[in-house]
Amino acid sequence: MTHYHFDVRRSQTRRHFFQSCGVGVGKIALASLLANESHAAVDESPNPTAPKPTHFPAKAKRVIYLFMAGAPSQLELFDHKPKLTELEGKPIPPEVIKGQRYAFIQPDAAVLGPRFKFARHGQCGAEVSEVLPHLAKVVDDIAIVRSCHTDLFNHSPAQLFVNTGSGIPGRPSMGSWLSYGIGSEANDLPSFVVLESGGNLSGGAAMWSSGFLPGTHQGVPFRGQGDPILHVSNPKGFDTQAQRDSLDLIRKMNEQRLDIVGDPEIATRINAYEMAFRMQSRAPELMNFSQETQETLDLYGAKPGDGKAAFANNCLLARRMAERGVRFIQVYHSGWDHHSNVEGGVRGQAKQTDQACAALLEDLKQRGLLDDTLVVWGGEFGRTPMVEASAALGRSKGRDHHPQAFTMWLAGGGIRPGISVGATDELGFNVVDRPVHVTDVQATILHCLGIDHRKLTFRFRGLNFRLTGVEEHHPVSELIA
Amino acid sequence: MTDTTSKPLLYVTLALLGSFVQSSHADESVGYNRTIRPLLAAKCLACHGPDEEERKADLRLDVRESAIDSGAIVPNKPDESELLRRVLSTDPDEQMPPPDSGETLTDEQRHQLRLWIREGAKYEQHWAFVPPQRPAIPMVKESSWVRNDIDRFVLAKLEAEKLAHSEEADRYTLVRRVYLDLIGLPPTPEEADAFVNDSDPQAYDKLVDQLLRSKHYGERWARLWLDLARYSDTNGYEKDRPRTMWPYRDWVIKALNDDMPFDQFTIEQLAGDMLPSATNDQHVATGFHRNTMLNEEGGIDPLEYRFYAMIDRVATTGTVWMGLTTGCAQCHTHKYDPITHTDYYSLLALLNNADEPDFPIADPAIEQRRQELEAEITKLEADLPQHFPVGEGDGPEESLRKQNLDNEFAAWLTEQQAKAVHWSVLRPSEMQTNLPRLEILADGSIFSSGDITKRDVFTLTFDLSSREHLVTALRLEVLPDDRLPAGGPGRCYYEGRKGDFFLSEVTAKQGVAKVDITSASNSYGKISIGSGNADAKNVLDGDGSTGWSTSGREGHASQLVLNFAKPLEPTGSLTIELLFERHFAASLGRFRISATSNESAQASELPVDLEPVLIRDESSWNEQEAAAVHSHFLNVTPLLAEARKPIDELRNKLPEPTSAMVLLERPADNPRATHRHHRGEYLSPRELVDPAIPTVFASLTDSPPKNRLEFARWLVSDANPLAARVTVNRAWRAFFGNGLMRTSGDFGTQSDPPTHPELLDWLAKEFVEGGWSLKELHRSIVSSATYRQSSVVSKALLARDPENRLLARGPRYRVDAEMVRDIMLKASDRLSAKMFGPSVYPPQQASVTELSYGNMKWNVSPGEDRYRRSLYTFSKRTAPFAAYTVFDGPTGENCVPRRNRSNTPLQALTLLNDEMYLELARAVAERRERRTSKEEGATEIFRRFLTRPPGGDEVALLLEFQATQQKRLEAGELNAKMFLDPDAGEAEQMAERASWVMVARAVMNLDEAITKQ
Repeated sequence: MTHYHFDVRRSQTRRHFFQSCGVGVGKIALASLLANESHAAVDESPNPTAPKPTHFPAKAKRVIYLFMAGAPSQLELFDHKPKLTELEGKPIPPEVIKGQRYAFIQPDAAVLGPRFKFARHGQCGAEVSEVLPHLAKVVDDIAIVRSCHTDLFNHSPAQLFVNTGSGIPGRPSMGSWLSYGIGSEANDLPSFVVLESGGNLSGGAAMWSSGFLPGTHQGVPFRGQGDPILHVSNPKGFDTQAQRDSLDLIRKMNEQRLDIVGDPEIATRINAYEMAFRMQSRAPELMNFSQETQETLDLYGAKPGDGKAAFANNCLLARRMAERGVRFIQVYHSGWDHHSNVEGGVRGQAKQTDQACAALLEDLKQRGLLDDTLVVWGGEFGRTPMVEASAALGRSKGRDHHPQAFTMWLAGGGIRPGISVGATDELGFNVVDRPVHVTDVQATILHCLGIDHRKLTFRFRGLNFRLTGVEEHHPVSELIA
Repeated sequence: MTDTTSKPLLYVTLALLGSFVQSSHADESVGYNRTIRPLLAAKCLACHGPDEEERKADLRLDVRESAIDSGAIVPNKPDESELLRRVLSTDPDEQMPPPDSGETLTDEQRHQLRLWIREGAKYEQHWAFVPPQRPAIPMVKESSWVRNDIDRFVLAKLEAEKLAHSEEADRYTLVRRVYLDLIGLPPTPEEADAFVNDSDPQAYDKLVDQLLRSKHYGERWARLWLDLARYSDTNGYEKDRPRTMWPYRDWVIKALNDDMPFDQFTIEQLAGDMLPSATNDQHVATGFHRNTMLNEEGGIDPLEYRFYAMIDRVATTGTVWMGLTTGCAQCHTHKYDPITHTDYYSLLALLNNADEPDFPIADPAIEQRRQELEAEITKLEADLPQHFPVGEGDGPEESLRKQNLDNEFAAWLTEQQAKAVHWSVLRPSEMQTNLPRLEILADGSIFSSGDITKRDVFTLTFDLSSREHLVTALRLEVLPDDRLPAGGPGRCYYEGRKGDFFLSEVTAKQGVAKVDITSASNSYGKISIGSGNADAKNVLDGDGSTGWSTSGREGHASQLVLNFAKPLEPTGSLTIELLFERHFAASLGRFRISATSNESAQASELPVDLEPVLIRDESSWNEQEAAAVHSHFLNVTPLLAEARKPIDELRNKLPEPTSAMVLLERPADNPRATHRHHRGEYLSPRELVDPAIPTVFASLTDSPPKNRLEFARWLVSDANPLAARVTVNRAWRAFFGNGLMRTSGDFGTQSDPPTHPELLDWLAKEFVEGGWSLKELHRSIVSSATYRQSSVVSKALLARDPENRLLARGPRYRVDAEMVRDIMLKASDRLSAKMFGPSVYPPQQASVTELSYGNMKWNVSPGEDRYRRSLYTFSKRTAPFAAYTVFDGPTGENCVPRRNRSNTPLQALTLLNDEMYLELARAVAERRERRTSKEEGATEIFRRFLTRPPGGDEVALLLEFQATQQKRLEAGELNAKMFLDPDAGEAEQMAERASWVMVARAVMNLDEAITKQ
């Protein structure tokens, strides 16, 4: 009988080779892994998420994406428009609106002035609203893009669009593309994880789906309570020894079968079971904040086990994941959909998130992780300069969905700090300088990770798909350090 | 082995009768399809191909005539051909492809072009666009191996490649393989032994027969079809509410079990509603294209998402029946495949002319229940007078009761008669809308159909000149209709309540002068979604965000009365504008407008057919009218409120009929227009297009299809070169893990060629000529020696053919997600035999669906529904059943012609730690208790999961593990009770029993348990 133990060990050796030898990226031939992988579904190597070389040297090794679901009002946070105060109560000129469709309001609705005061901060002098006092202290570390725009004006499609490049569910998400393209740095955690707080998330599981990419690359939701990863705990009664004994038996019998039938998939399965076992010990360690100092907990406002501090807890968890080699950490926070009382709503959400966002940057920075961790903050679209009010829905002084203009910020690996990119008109309605489409943001993120977004493709149904679609888009050069 | 080509039934070898014409791909020595087309596609066609917008120098190289007319190619004369001169040029201004394109040709490629032109520059149609011809059956050396003609094609290739086939799989492997493939379940050890020990030479054929007849066959193959249909039990997108789609799923199972011919199977699903005297089942079948998602998010443009659903329908139809990727042509003319931008929208137009209603399906059980309840209600209503309060006075109780009833009725009647208003129905002389189609019905009511939007405006004009009286008020009745969602009166079908409407504003003009409406009243009002009120006067306040609506009264009539400031003279015309404006589409579906000259008209709760009766004197009523008035009194009088409670309760119990989601062709006078959309954008419609199949296929038929039914028939006609090929290829993939075309959804010009082109065409011809029988196709595949080979692979063969493209061995791969669970259910003997009906909820952690929008609670099904076949599991698009997703189960968002087959740590965690699986492991361990010895016990567990008897030291390994664990349990290192059924309580030998649970769980986790080999 032929012996296939070789295959199992080889994959471990290969991992060792990449992890420990620090091989320069340029020295490894790129063609095979990032080129058109029509055979990927069949060619699953024993470790399909092993690290893979990038197209060019990467500035960032990982991403923490703080997705503000529901669409925060840029006009209350980053894009100061005093003109709106002046015009409050009057309709927007029809030539500005130009037949734009809205979700809830009629386009001739009156203007609503900004609800908060703005001031300049840091050496860069970036204008930030009074409800973001913590972020104001770290503005010199971030790059603010006030000229983002998107194609879609409803939550679920627009969130999907930012995450997957399509408004229709079913495409691979950004984290899946990265896991597929450059693999994972962790051998005891998934390469792509998902954290949630704040309630209903419109885009749903399709936002971390691997779509047509192999299922290995799908995002793994981490739960704040109970099993952090579904089924990562042993069943009732099993201790670690019982689990290890069981795995040893399974492994031995699988190896015997491999010897007989020769199918390399069995070697892959043996590896998968071993990685599962490693995850079982790593996940609880990851979730356990007891090694964190009180100072660190206070920096974030994190309170383990307290649902009200869920976002802060997730930000701290994101840092811990970054330390442990997770490639793409998707942090969703819902609750920004302020169709009514935008003032109270934004104030409340800012209070829940501002401190932790700033803390994450500070904490990453002091640990030397900000240099190779890309942090992205933003929602799925912006909010209207016009007021939303509806008697039927009991709404007043809100803002409707506005795809034409909104604000995002980026920081860390590969991003030029302390800059602002782009501008909107005096009503905050349209972008007038340096438009940045959400697909450009995707291209920028990939660029920071050493990937040419045009070359990260997968053949499916006869087409070469890519995250950034078929239209021409580019990384935002101004943002790139 | 004997040669068994003479199969029963339909698979008669027709090779000698058929034509020996080689299919176009059989001989590619000229090299166009193999060499030149890919070269042109890669290097030239982006600028000189089908896409007019991108075409440079007006030169087209993918069509021979164009290439010759332009002088680019002079057949047989390479040196006179401009094409060759340009590719050979070193002048950067002349050279092709241009140096800055980065697409330079190699010397080899230039040489190939030269040779090809010298040989006459022969073009060939892409093989897949030429109808399949029956190929000659190849000759093979080792004919003794052959069981049917499939094997001749496979063996001929192996012999040409100098590869040996594998020996036949052992009988245990074979019985498990064919069980899993045909019915999706493993055999029990007893079923396996019965086959293994059957010495009848026909034992295998008998087994195949038996499995093809099994009702589980339809369940197994339905799952694969539902992948293509993108089946789900929810609507998708944000809210992802449940839908009733299971009647369609059940239709698929039944059709497959009945071996409905695939052509009929196709026609009924795409256009069952258009068949003459379509049956209920044929309507239900059209659910295929209702599996598209429905966005219910507030504020969407419903027609935009309908457009995306149409895009999905075209893509799915292309993938399933044409093996074509049409997606590119949504935005522009396809760069390589001959599908133009207009072709794409013409194809869309073929599918675009249907409405999408709910279709009530007759369910005898529900109908009976309804009749029983209605009979009970009638009886209770008849008894109401007996419950009337007894009046004061002397005399027998019954006469006092009667007297009181008469008195109260008379008082009520006087009051009602005083209020009764004479209304006369107004029939519009003209009706205009922004989009919906309005139609006047016989009773003067107006019915709306066609598409609706978030802001609908109905403008109705009435001729007042024929009236005799002034008009003081108008009455708007909103009316139920079975054709409307939830029975109407509104057309709301998403976000809000089904059948609801929202009337924002009513304005009136006489001639061109606006007339004032000063007051309004309604018989009932309530809005859904939001805290606002539904006061009648909302329709007069000029604010579109307030309005009138009758939520909660779906299926019932209500009314709104509008009083004019000044009575209108009966002259000229009256124009009424109704505005329906909300964050979802909610205009009226059926309504009627009447006028009166009464000066104090108010909305009334009286049924409108009673009002004319009440106006007349009681003495003029006939018996029926008198009874109707009296009965109405009994149903409304507060004096009987208590007595009516049981009736109200029964009414609430009346079962709703089950509705299937279907397509219904639109009436001839209201076709839906289809446009070409610039760049594929919903907001950029351009010129109108006619329904048509792509030009490349039109030449193959004399009667190109013009509507959905004709299109469906064309798809399964000889004129479509693809349907049969694509279908047999999918079947092949289901058995072997790869299709003969590896890209199951793409047979276009950019696809890899099939590994066995002749076999593909032979199977396609057999399939069609044999009457499109899927069961016979499956029978012929599993009966082949090719299929029956062992999947054991040597290192040398693995290196030579890692993916088994040449079929020198049998298939071996991990089974699909649902089959993983079904195997465990069968192994544990827990599997429920119940078929059909609403989807069920097997156990899973609550956190899976709690994360979804609306925090759906996953209430685990009680009883046997906990153990139903996985096909019946409720499938929620935004929170799919986790134990399936982890094994690459589909989410229902896309048509999936082939699933991924990943192999991941999360799969390991699921099988190791998911309580759902542990429960089944426990059940298998219990079965061990029937065996006397430990060896027998271990063998029983082993075989229930793996079928084959254990070999080598496998039993010893299990027993060693068992003994070790039993010791730990007995020593108290592990708590035996926690491994066992929590409901079982204390019992004997807990430690030993617990150790066997651990054994069963380990065996369940072996690679082999979830692998077909």
